Amino acid sequence: MSLRDVEVRARKTEAIIALAIILATSPIIIGFSLIILSSFSKSMVTNFDPSSFYPTLENWINLFQGRSAAVGGLREDILKYTLNTAVVALGVSLVVTLVGTMSGYAISRMNFRYRKHFLLLILLLHAFPGSVLIVGVYFIYRLMSPIAMGSITTFSFFYVIIARASLEIPMAIWLMKGFFDLIPWEVEWAALIDGASRLTIWRKVMLPLVKPGIAAILLFGFLAGWQDLIYVRTFLAEKTLATFIEYNLGTLEFAEMPLVAAAATLYLLPTIIFFITSQHLLLRVSLAGLKR
Amino acid sequence: MEYKLKDFLRNKKYESLIFILPALILIIIFYILPVALSVYISFTPLKNWNLDRYLGTIVGFRNYERFFHMLQYDPIIRNVFLTTIVFIGITLVINVLGGLLLALATYFVSEKFSSVFRTLWLLPRMAPIAVYSLVWYYFFHGSNIGTLNSFLMYLGLIKEPISWGYDIIPWGPWSIIIFVNGLVGVSFGMIIFTSAISNIPKELVIAARVDGASNWQISTKIFIPLMKWHILYVITWQLLSLLTTYAHIFLLVQWGLVSKQYGTTWSLYIYQVAFTGRTDQGLAAAAGVILVIVGGILGYITLRILGFERMITKPRGDI
Amino acid sequence: MVSIKLDRVTKRFGKVIAVDNVSLEIADKEFMALLGPSGSGKSTILYLIAGIYKPTSGRIFFGDKDVTELPPKERNVGLVFQNWALYPHMKVYDNIAFPLRLKKVPEDYIRKKVVEVTKMLHIDHLLDRYPYQLSGGQQQRVAIARALVKEPLVLLLDEPLSNLDALLRIYVRAELKKLQKKLGITTIYVTHDQAEALAMADRIAVINEGKILQVGDPETVYNRPSCKFVGGFLGNPPMNFIEADLEYSDGNAYMIIGENKINVPRQYTEIVNKLRLDKIIMGFRPEDTVLMRRESAVKGRICLYGEVYAVEPLGREYIVTISINAKLLKAIVPRDQVFISGEKIVVCPLEEKIVLFDVRTERAIELLI
Repeated sequence: MSLRDVEVRARKTEAIIALAIILATSPIIIGFSLIILSSFSKSMVTNFDPSSFYPTLENWINLFQGRSAAVGGLREDILKYTLNTAVVALGVSLVVTLVGTMSGYAISRMNFRYRKHFLLLILLLHAFPGSVLIVGVYFIYRLMSPIAMGSITTFSFFYVIIARASLEIPMAIWLMKGFFDLIPWEVEWAALIDGASRLTIWRKVMLPLVKPGIAAILLFGFLAGWQDLIYVRTFLAEKTLATFIEYNLGTLEFAEMPLVAAAATLYLLPTIIFFITSQHLLLRVSLAGLKR
Repeated sequence: MEYKLKDFLRNKKYESLIFILPALILIIIFYILPVALSVYISFTPLKNWNLDRYLGTIVGFRNYERFFHMLQYDPIIRNVFLTTIVFIGITLVINVLGGLLLALATYFVSEKFSSVFRTLWLLPRMAPIAVYSLVWYYFFHGSNIGTLNSFLMYLGLIKEPISWGYDIIPWGPWSIIIFVNGLVGVSFGMIIFTSAISNIPKELVIAARVDGASNWQISTKIFIPLMKWHILYVITWQLLSLLTTYAHIFLLVQWGLVSKQYGTTWSLYIYQVAFTGRTDQGLAAAAGVILVIVGGILGYITLRILGFERMITKPRGDI
Repeated sequence: MVSIKLDRVTKRFGKVIAVDNVSLEIADKEFMALLGPSGSGKSTILYLIAGIYKPTSGRIFFGDKDVTELPPKERNVGLVFQNWALYPHMKVYDNIAFPLRLKKVPEDYIRKKVVEVTKMLHIDHLLDRYPYQLSGGQQQRVAIARALVKEPLVLLLDEPLSNLDALLRIYVRAELKKLQKKLGITTIYVTHDQAEALAMADRIAVINEGKILQVGDPETVYNRPSCKFVGGFLGNPPMNFIEADLEYSDGNAYMIIGENKINVPRQYTEIVNKLRLDKIIMGFRPEDTVLMRRESAVKGRICLYGEVYAVEPLGREYIVTISINAKLLKAIVPRDQVFISGEKIVVCPLEEKIVLFDVRTERAIELLI
């Protein structure tokens, strides 16, 4: 909200503030734009030198054809990496949503014996980011890998998804709790009097009424999985766009850099799309944890 | 009467258990167990993830002793510790102040303009980490391909490109990692504060305007006093977050943009020691356990300060 | 259809006692109103009967069956909430069908029942709409239909008319009463509106601060309130109360109010003489009061001298506020009697309608015997 309709002062101050905001935001705008631009150029344009901008689609062609290493002609399947990234993202999204909606409902509406303790645990974990526990998480990975029974790749996907999803669980539970809290008690009591079990109420009455929350969590979970670097590089037996970029920055010749820029632009695409289409949802999700 | 699974599921006592079971399982496996295992590993000489060889051996507090010894005498580790403190301290201030300033500034300009720019500020947080790192890799690159270098050379402020991450010790790498993480952190405060401001009744601001208050006066005399809880919330949350975050600076060190000593924080150090280079998991675990303890205490203090009790309201009904 | 009994039921929420040792019996097919101000505990009693709350102590019976431990699902009650609590994401048809679908009965049976109950409530043409597309009155009927469709033993209504506009309220009142008689279903109706309770109920239970003060049919509760609160809660404008000292001389008892000295009403002389109280509260209703000019004869009546404070014309009648002994009382007079503010007049309550209350306990003094 802003004060436009009650503006009693000169427009001049507003213009100055706007300019300051633009100035502050400029590194972000410039930084990202240059990378995107570089993907369409023969060489990186990150140095404001107009002469280095030689428009071409070469990088993109090379990218999709898998020619990323100048030496050795190793083929890299960018579509596969994109798919891998998507699989991880989707998996995280689904796990986070499922667990969040179940636990969020229970905390919001059910008075069970250790509710307060569970809530305290969730809040504590919410406050304490779990990424520093990765040594232990990897240890468990090693301990569990015999279960894989030969298919280490599938197991690694499975593990990355639930491990990464677990990082977001406390926040997801808290978010969904907030949404469930908003539903009037009477609607649920009416269903109980009508004879429904808790599970039926959850499925048929509560979930349809928290659709915005579910959409928010699905989106948020997807983005969390999509953007991840540390977990996929530590656990996943295959490459995602993140690890592709990490490895190729070091190994490529200088002249091939724009190809990495193309990969980065591709990687950035879903984020941009979600940004434009679901602004309000992102804002809502980011408010999770705030209870006042 | 046969007791079927269906009856078990319908039993009121276990209803709630079913709903929280998935979360409980995940929490045990990925939070509680790792802490326990990390503690155990910290008492072993585990290296290179050679479980068979080292896991059965207990070497007592040797890893902890090594860590504290290195803290005192090894300049590299000392610098990591120093970097951590400087990083957290300065980034915290930037995050809170930046978020506050942005929230206040966007309040006083048109809504359309504000929402566009608030969205832009979400980009660092939402963008893929690898892409984000790539952006700043080129921005701060030490050669003349670096955006900052070419900008300053164009303005005539410097004659040759500067390797920010290596030549200007320690503030070069420090500034870079603070800047990179700062941009991510600012969006958190910005969102919280924007929401808080929007909950302040418009009438207060109108009344102040009619009395002739300027933007600055409205901000300092009305908004900030009413946002005390939110400011506290952002400070405590960000503090914990900064203590444990490392993903956004990992690649900057890995790619050699910044010097290792002055670009690594404690949490990143743990990851490095465990998974790259020397892969000494025993040592990493010890450093990790200490960090977890510090983080756990801070987390608990955070919740007490913020009034945990108030966040919980009991459900209604006895069913 | 069943009778309901609450046996010394108490409900505590932490330190707060919402329902205090309540014992109540509702007969089969009876329409019982729970009447009381906001926060008196009447809704809590309703939810205790429904099974949403469990009593802290005491038991609840449906007929001979002790239902205290049973969850709502197994009590077979229908509850209409104050804000109707319809499922916003379901159509009217699905809202009403929901309880039956849970019982897993065949779909054509469900359809038959839904059509039946919606026809009875005149909403059978709205089955395809969503709650937000309906008016308040229509939503309320859907809520009632949903409660009735499973043919419950008991119908519970929590201030169902309070969200309707005034004219609609009066219309629906009559409809609900008719419906209840037709179905013959035991009904408990929670309200804070005394006119509603008087108009619709077979019996009224007056509640305040978690306690039941009086249970009786409308006539008894209205004309023979058991305590000052009941007397003051029923009736609009409410009952007048004025304190009087009691004087006993030459074998008679007299009430002293300021400069007035009046006889104790005939129906009370024996009790008053027996109890020998010092003070008393006299209660009488505005509509049972006659106003006369001082010049007129007051023979044979119990009258007080006072001054007109204000006059409110209501079209059909006037409400005259009179000041007696620094207290303000009201009287209702027919529209051909015109009084003006400041006028000195005589206030004569009908002797047989006067109710006397004990000052200390505020109970009707006949209960002190």
